[in-house]
This record gives sequence, C-alpha cells and structure tokens, in this order.
Amino acid sequence: MMCVWSHRPQFLHLGLFMAAYVLACGFAQSLAIVPGTGISIWPPGGLFMATLVLASRHSWPWWVLGGCLAELFSNVLWFHNPLPVAFLLYTGNALEAAAGAWLVNRTCRRPVRLETLQEVLALVVLGAGIAPVVSATVGSATLAWFGMQSFATAWPLWWIGDATGVLIVAPLALVVFQNWRGKAQLSAARWMEAGVLGLIFLGVAVLSLSGYLPFAYIIMPPLLWAAVRFEFKGAAVTLTLLALITAVFTISGASQFAGDPESQKHKQVMLQLFLAISALSALIVAAISRQHQMAVLTLRQSERSLRELIETLPAHIWCTAPDGAPIYFSQQFRDFIGFNVEDKDGDGASRLSSVLNAIIHPDDLGTVNTLFAHSLATGESYALKHRQRRFDGQYRWVETRAAAMRNSDDAIVQWNVICLDIDGEVRAQEELRLAQERLARASQAASLAELSASIAHEVNQPLAAVVTSASACVRWIDAQKLEEARRSASRAMAEGHRASDIIGRIRALAKKAPPHKDWLDVNETIQEAIALARSEIQRNGVALETQLSEHVPVVLADRIQLQQVLLNLMMNAIEAMHGVSEGPRELLVRSGTDESQHVVISVQDSGPGVDPQSLEHLFDAFYTTKPHGLGIGLAISRSIVENHGGRLWATANVPCGAVFQFTLPRGSEGVV
Amino acid sequence: MTDAEALVFVVDDDASLRESLQDLLGSVGLRVAAFASAQEFLRSPRPEVPSCLVLDVRLPGLSGLELQQRLGAGDLALPIIFITGHGDIPMSVQAMKAGAVEFLPKPFREQDLLDAIHQALARDRHAREQRAQMAALRRRFDALTPRQRDVMAHMVAGLLNKQIAGALGTSEATVKTHRQQVMAKMQAESLADLIRIADQLGLLPPKS
Repeated sequence: MMCVWSHRPQFLHLGLFMAAYVLACGFAQSLAIVPGTGISIWPPGGLFMATLVLASRHSWPWWVLGGCLAELFSNVLWFHNPLPVAFLLYTGNALEAAAGAWLVNRTCRRPVRLETLQEVLALVVLGAGIAPVVSATVGSATLAWFGMQSFATAWPLWWIGDATGVLIVAPLALVVFQNWRGKAQLSAARWMEAGVLGLIFLGVAVLSLSGYLPFAYIIMPPLLWAAVRFEFKGAAVTLTLLALITAVFTISGASQFAGDPESQKHKQVMLQLFLAISALSALIVAAISRQHQMAVLTLRQSERSLRELIETLPAHIWCTAPDGAPIYFSQQFRDFIGFNVEDKDGDGASRLSSVLNAIIHPDDLGTVNTLFAHSLATGESYALKHRQRRFDGQYRWVETRAAAMRNSDDAIVQWNVICLDIDGEVRAQEELRLAQERLARASQAASLAELSASIAHEVNQPLAAVVTSASACVRWIDAQKLEEARRSASRAMAEGHRASDIIGRIRALAKKAPPHKDWLDVNETIQEAIALARSEIQRNGVALETQLSEHVPVVLADRIQLQQVLLNLMMNAIEAMHGVSEGPRELLVRSGTDESQHVVISVQDSGPGVDPQSLEHLFDAFYTTKPHGLGIGLAISRSIVENHGGRLWATANVPCGAVFQFTLPRGSEGVV
Repeated sequence: MTDAEALVFVVDDDASLRESLQDLLGSVGLRVAAFASAQEFLRSPRPEVPSCLVLDVRLPGLSGLELQQRLGAGDLALPIIFITGHGDIPMSVQAMKAGAVEFLPKPFREQDLLDAIHQALARDRHAREQRAQMAALRRRFDALTPRQRDVMAHMVAGLLNKQIAGALGTSEATVKTHRQQVMAKMQAESLADLIRIADQLGLLPPKS
C-alpha cells in the first residue's frame, strides 16, 4: 500500500486526466448515432492507454481509479447505464488499457516516442488490434448478459470503435504528453506550410464530409502530406481534427455517414473504418517519414564528420576523376596553393595539366607528368617527392601519393591524392648531406695536407743541401779553388741520392697495407657500389642503366678496393655530366667477359667526354681537369686494378661521353 | 764580402745542410759558426762582432720560433734569417712580426740568402754602433755632479742663467761656472749640441 501511495501521480495530472476522460466520453456519446447501440468510436480508450504507457507501473492503480471515477461520472451525465453495467464496462475498458500499455511497453524501448516503424506497428497491432479484443469481449458480454444487445452484434462495433479510438487519440495523447514542455522549433517557412496545409485540410475535409464531394477518402492526400512533413505531430493533430469534423457533420446529419436508420448501422461501420484506415495510414506514413528523416540526418552527420576530418587533417588531400581531372581539393590544400578546383579552367588545356602547371616546380614538372600519366594508364599507385608552389610563390618540398579507388567491378572510380609538406625534412637532409660532404672533403684535404707537408719537409731538406752545395761549387770554380769545388759537387751528388732514397722510403711505407682478397660476385659488388652512389645519381638527375651479365665468373679481389674504383669512376662520370644542361644524362654500368674470358667492367657516361690531349695524362697522379679535383682518383684506381692483375683504360663514347673500363683476371678453377 | 770580422751563426739539425751552408758562406769569405740545435747555440759564447743568425724553423727541442722569442727583440737582439723545409703563411707572418730579416723556404736561391745575410749584418753593425755611442754619452753624463745635472736639466729646458740661479737658490756666477763644466764634460760644442745629447739620453720631457 505504501508502495502505491509513494508512487501517486501529481493530483493536477490526475485531475486533467479525469477531465479529458470525461470530455472524451462526451465525444463518444455524440458519435453514437446508431439507435439503441450506444457504442461508437471510443476516444477514452486511446487516452487511457497512452497514459498508462507513459506512467510508471506502480502508479497504475491511481490512474485506474481516476478513470473509474471519470467514466462513472460520464455514465451519470450521458450513458445512463445501470451502475453494475457501467462498472463492468469500465472494468473491460481498464483491462484493455492495461493490456495494451503492458504489451506496447514490453515491445518497445521506453520512453515510447513513436519514432520508429516498430513502435508504430506495436501500437497499431498490439494497442489498437489486440487490446480492444478484451474490452469488446467484456463489454459485449455485459450487454448480452443484461439483455441490452446480442453479443455478436455488439462485438465488432465495439472492437472497431475501441481500435479507432486508440488509433486517433493515443498518438495525440503521446505527442501532447511528450512535448508538453518542449518548445516548437519551426521556421517561418514551416509555419507557413503548416498554415496552408491546415487550410487545405479543413477545406477538403469540410467539402468531402459535408457530401459536396462524393468520396470521403479524398482527405487522404492532405492527411498524408501532414504525416510526411510534420510526422507524428502532424498526423496526430490532423487525425484529431478529422475525427472532430467527421463528428460534427455526422451529428448534424450532413455527412455521408449519416442516413436513415436502416442504413445507419452499415454507415456506422463505414465511419469507423474510415477513421481507422485514415489513422493507420497517417501513422505508418509518419513512422516511415520519421525513419527516413533519421536516416538522412545520420547520413548527413557522418558525411559532415568525414568531410571535417578530411578538411582539417594536417595534410593536403585532393581527388581526381578516373581520367585525372581534379574534382576536389581539401581546405588545407586550397589554402596551400591558393585556388580551388575550377579556378584554372578555361585556358584550353585539361584541368589536370593546368593545375599541375600551376603548382609543380618547372624542373619537376616533366617527372610528375610522366609518372602521373603512367599511373593513370596502368592504375598503379603514385608516389613522388617534388617541389610545389605555395600561394605566395614559394616552392616547398612535398611528398605526393596517389592511389586508385575501385568499385566492385575493379574499375577505377576516383584517384585519391594525399600530399604532405616535407620541406623542413628535405632541407635538413640536404644540410646534413652537405655537411657530411664538407667534412669528408675537409678531412681528406687535411690528411693530404699533412702528408704533403711531411713529404715536402723530408724532400726539401736534401734539395736545399743540393742547391746550396752546387752554388758553393760554382763560386769555388769562379775563385779557381778546384779542390773546394770538387768537395761541394760531391756533396751535391750525395744529397741528390739522399732525396731519391727518401722518396723510395715513402713509397715503401704506402705499399705496406696489403689488399684483403676474397672470392667476389662481381655483379653484387657493382650493385653495392651503385647503392653507395644512389643519392648522388638522383641528386644530379642522372638516369642509371645497368647491363650485368649473368655469366660473369667470380674473381679474387679486395671488395673495398674494387668498390673504390667503381665509385671513383661513377662519381667522375656523374661529375662530368653535371655541366650537361641539354641532352640526356645517362650512366651505364656493364659487366661481362672478353674473348680471353677476363672479367670486363665498364662505366659509360654521356658527358662532354675527354679531349685527346688529356687522355694520355688521365691516369697521372695529381693530373686533374676538375676545378676542385685532387688528381689522384684515377691514378689510385689504376694502381688498384693493376695490383689485381688487371688493366684500366679510357676510350671515347659515341656520340658523346667517355667509357672507362677495367679488366680483372677470372679466378682459376678449383681454387676456392 | 767586406767584413772580415763578421760572424754568421747557422742553426740547423741537418748536418749536410749545415756543411753546405758553411761551404757556401766560406766561399764568399764569411766566418760561420754552425750548431745542430737551439740549446747548443745558446750555450756557445758570442763575440762582440757584427753577426746574424741563419735559423731553421723546425728543430729538435727548442724550435726556431721559440728561440727567436727567447733572444728577444731588444737592442741586443740578433738579426735572424729563417729557413724552412715547409713553411706556411701564418708561420712566416709570426716570424716577420717578431723582427726576422727574411723568411726563406728551402731550397732557397743562394743570392737571396746572401743578400739577407748582408742586410742582417749591416743592421747588426748599425745597432752595435748605436749602442757604443750611447754608452759613451752615458759615461759622460755619469761624470757630472748632482748639481751639474740639475743645471744641465734647466739649461736644456731653455732657462737663462738668472732664472736657473733663482730656481736653484744660488748666485748667477755659480750657475755660470757649472754651465762651463757641463759643456766641457759632455763635450758639447753649443747649447743646441747639448740639447741633442740630452734627447739621445732621454732626459727631455716628452713633448705634449
């Protein structure tokens, strides 16, 4: 008991409920036009069921009590049934409301908002279809028991009447209860639409129900319009209006559903069916419309969040059509390049080439065009680091990657491109590389300077003695002192030999480190050397080609020394082509064997070549044609190759450039 | 060529170069004293004759440049000609700033060396004459009595006898006597001569 007391509803709500119940009973009475039946559409059923659906289970006794009082009061006012009959009828009604509310709440998640088709179907099938069976059965049985009507006559009318009442009033009650405090947020246009719709609806309703138009169902279009555009609120309000207008015209006798007493019973069923079908259609359309709206909203939200993701990602994103024409630039990309997709249209060229022309550095444009065309033709992914023009004209290094998006038939539907600004990293790498280069050059120069200083000192000492003694000799001869002159000359000779001995000692010192020879795969060694030179090759825009024969025998050689020779030749070639501004920069590295089965390795460039005068001095130590060269690379290379029992020589390449090639004796069979 | 008593010191660790230098300088009539190291040279006596030093930069122990610093750049400094097997610019700049006569890379032209040696000897001879002259003047000045020195100081400052007497608190006649003594002891022919001697001795106040 305490439990029920503590769950009592607010008395104001209870009072309002009872007042509405009494009014609904009055409305029902006014529509009871069939003589002797007293049964018609039963709006209190919908009100009762909607109230119980929303109220907590524990508070139900209060509502049942309130409903009882309201119905008994209405009985006194209008129905004038004997008290036991009235009470039994109410019992049936209360059971119907409780059963309907219980079933709907079991099926739907609380709170019931009638926002999904499932909820609407639950209300229609369980609330309006099954629950009225209870009240129709109890009511008809009561009437039959008290001899007021036969069970079979009363039951269908009762069932349809209650069902229609639930269909029309329950949604209205739910909408009113749920939105009691909610503020209507309709735009001016929507209010206007609602107003126009209301006028049309009223006009059609009045014309059709007053019999001016022959067909009552002509009200369907405006009704469904309201359901589609204003969903449940629209459906509930228009249905209520329809019920009221129908009631007014039926009571006044103007309606199609009014008529002589003979046909009255049939028309009563038609009236109930008309309202039930209208309500059912409006509610289902409203539910479908609501569901559609929710789906559209969800789609729009996910689309918006995806777009925001792409627009705000710290990367430049753009898309192109399958033919490469740009169709979308992200905000970040637009901000970077300073224009949008269509802005470069109209100068005759394709959109892709106008965009690329506008943003790619002229030196990179060729590569970008070639690679892009290749990707578009083959569908392969694209990746390149290049310079890209920013809106302020500054070129920055970026890394661009593109991949094809394909449909289920594997056909390309779009190219997605991402572009990252890597200017800082590239510049840092370049700085680092330059610093390493400077360091290497400096340490090389330093060790060379030290070496040359000590050699100079060692050699200049005896040379000074030679020159000084020879000068003294000349003076002694002038003075006719031949003995002194002879002594001076002998000393000069001795010192000359000493200088030669010193040079011999230095050479012996340099020869002390013997090469460390291993059995080598020549092609592998070449590949390693190429890997070492890769960054220089790329930096100078040189196209590298290798023609490595598979039938090259292994050689017995010092891997490091061999790679020194290869690197030296490749770097010379790259440096030679550095000045080539026109024509290709091609570097060709080949391996193979000659007729005497020696291994031959050649490095060929397309540079300016070697002029015949230089050719004979090319391998001399300290001979160089390069402004910053030391002139010892080729000399060292030749001595390394000769140490390995091979030869190194240079020839001219046709049509331009030079070929440096060297041989290595093949490893004799059986030696492993 | 001219100076028979002049002496050229040679410091080089290379024996054959020392020999050939002795040979060459002997052939033009110069006396040579050769040493293998800076320490050996510092231990040897140095006669009071015009002389110079032919010095190798790279030496065992004390290097040539260090020896130059040790000898100092004062009045007694010996003119130095550097020879080097491998010299760089900073090294030669340092040597020249410290007063070297010449910096010759090996192998040098003999005429360059000989020219440098003669220039050095001339410089040393001049310095020695200067030093001898100064010593003589100093001896004369030292022979003056304290009162005579006071009188001389006022004389070279341009004061008249009367003014000197006033400044020293004595009679004009006494000043006159001292004045004649000063002129005689300093072997000055005139007041102008005396002022020049005072200048050489550093007695004149610096001009403002």
